[in-house]
Amino acid sequence: MERERPQSFNTVPMKERLTIPRQDMPEQDADQRSANFLEVNLGLTPEQAVIEAQRCIECKKPTCMDGCPVSIKIPDFIQLICNEDFIGAAKKIKEDNSLPAICGRVCPQETQCEEVCVMGRRFEPVAIGRLERFVADYSLKHGNGSAEQTKLPAPSGNKVAIVGSGPAGLAVASDLIKEGHEVTVFEALHEFGGVLVYGIPEFRLPKLILRQEVATLEAMGVKFVKNFIVGRTMTIQELMSEEGFDAVFLGLGAGLPRFMNIPGENLNGVYSANEFLTRSNLMRGYEFPEWDTPLYRAKRAIIVGGGNTAMDAVRTAKRLGADEAAIVYRRSEEEMPARNEEIHHAKEEGVKFMNLVNPIEFIGDDEGNVIAAKCLRMELGEPDDSGRRRPVPMEGSEFTMEVDMVVIAVGNGSNPLIAQTTPEISTNKWGNIVADEDGRTSMEGVFAGGDIVSGGATVILAMGAGRKSAIAINEYLKSKVWSVA
Amino acid sequence: MSLHEKISSMSMNEIVELCIDQEQQAIDLYVMARDQAKDESAVLKFQELVDMETAHKVALKKFELEHYMDLPPANLKITDYLMEPVLSENLSTQEILILAAKREDKTAKMYQDLADHFSMDKKLNTFFQMMADEELRHKHDLETEYEKEFLQEG
Repeated sequence: MERERPQSFNTVPMKERLTIPRQDMPEQDADQRSANFLEVNLGLTPEQAVIEAQRCIECKKPTCMDGCPVSIKIPDFIQLICNEDFIGAAKKIKEDNSLPAICGRVCPQETQCEEVCVMGRRFEPVAIGRLERFVADYSLKHGNGSAEQTKLPAPSGNKVAIVGSGPAGLAVASDLIKEGHEVTVFEALHEFGGVLVYGIPEFRLPKLILRQEVATLEAMGVKFVKNFIVGRTMTIQELMSEEGFDAVFLGLGAGLPRFMNIPGENLNGVYSANEFLTRSNLMRGYEFPEWDTPLYRAKRAIIVGGGNTAMDAVRTAKRLGADEAAIVYRRSEEEMPARNEEIHHAKEEGVKFMNLVNPIEFIGDDEGNVIAAKCLRMELGEPDDSGRRRPVPMEGSEFTMEVDMVVIAVGNGSNPLIAQTTPEISTNKWGNIVADEDGRTSMEGVFAGGDIVSGGATVILAMGAGRKSAIAINEYLKSKVWSVA
Repeated sequence: MSLHEKISSMSMNEIVELCIDQEQQAIDLYVMARDQAKDESAVLKFQELVDMETAHKVALKKFELEHYMDLPPANLKITDYLMEPVLSENLSTQEILILAAKREDKTAKMYQDLADHFSMDKKLNTFFQMMADEELRHKHDLETEYEKEFLQEG
């Protein structure tokens, strides 16, 4: 079925739209920002946002929406920007995405909505992510969030527990509170946001943005409980039988760091990316001694990995004063899973890239501190199933380099706590919870979504999974019929 | 008597039986590990390895030399530099994969050694080369799985 096109407010003739250049987002100077933790990107100005919105050619079939995992009505909010109705545009996004200020910052739009933007076939795609961020920030600054605009229905009498306050959990909370259910979010840590707060640095996602989004949900009636470890403080069975929750959503994320299993990984100065970033982001170690969290300030740091987490860690090490902060990655830059923008920013900030290099051992001194990394050079061999050429070690290429800090950023697994304390919930061989496409697990009334089901993915995919589960939870609460496909 | 001497005095059928026995030892090891494992994900992974080795055993029972002429895949060497985990009830799926890949590697080396030793005996040389290649293929499959799951580099 063809979608009804939104009212057009774009007064620029179609041919002229093609000649408007994509608007660059102002950012902090690289030299300046590599010594502070303030946000790198500064956001579009209102004038820039309108110009960028006017680049949209109002396609009959807006492919951009297909590229968005939560199907934000992108053409609609862009037209509202053309009309300078920025609060209206933010509200339009919030119909499908409860965390636009966050997604506008951390979503990989270049591989989602912007990748399929028709403008991108011949020109540069419309900067949808930058526009999303602009209206969300504008709304946070000039509006009152969305709480006062959301009329909540009468209480349903149903109680829902959400375990984990990351993107999946927050998306479920936002959708279910609007259905009149009593929603409580349980968080193991002392701040809400999950990976958004412990994983993503201040210079990419200021905590204030997250706190404002959480405050909006709180104002809508969502209860937030911190320092509560489901599986330890209370089990899922206890939440349901003793606390009277009718349904539980598990959005625990993938927070278990993985190591490489090479010699020397337990030396002092070798961190998992999780620990290093949590110390810096959540525990504010970069402000030691004002904040009481020690965080090693290395002179020569290497970060093993090539994803966004690796980029966050290496840029953090640089900001903490490392003379040399380097990415060590076993593949070539072409295969790096990190966003191009993050790689670009890291390079601008002086980060060194050692591609096609793989550590095989970390060497320590007599006191157990890491002092060197033994590495092998790699070469690209035969392609794998996805067509990417695979790295294989080069014979005789071994070399050693001095380091005083190593951060391992090769991925995360699932925390086994729920599986250990709730045997009714099935897990797969990787420890992820097994759930159907709507998030139903093997235990009645318990749903799961996000990284705990899929393994490490993106914020918006976790939110998409959360939104699907919210629909299924709502149906279950109304019917009380448990149907697993 | 060394393995080389022992094999020199055996018929082809007996040699195949010896290799089947190797597979059975692997099955027994993984069954024991599966039954001891505490974590559900580890139980599933060990069961997968039991199924894999059982399939190898069945294939060897139907053994016909001319059916095994495929070239081995490239050796990815992903687990070559990793520490070998000690078999225990608390192994993670990551450690199980390392353990299994290293075991396939050792078995491949044993067969390769036998192939080299019997280089003058075309039939024995071909058989052991085939067995070495087959074990390398298993190692390749395990390392591919390892790479996909544990080297996301995110």
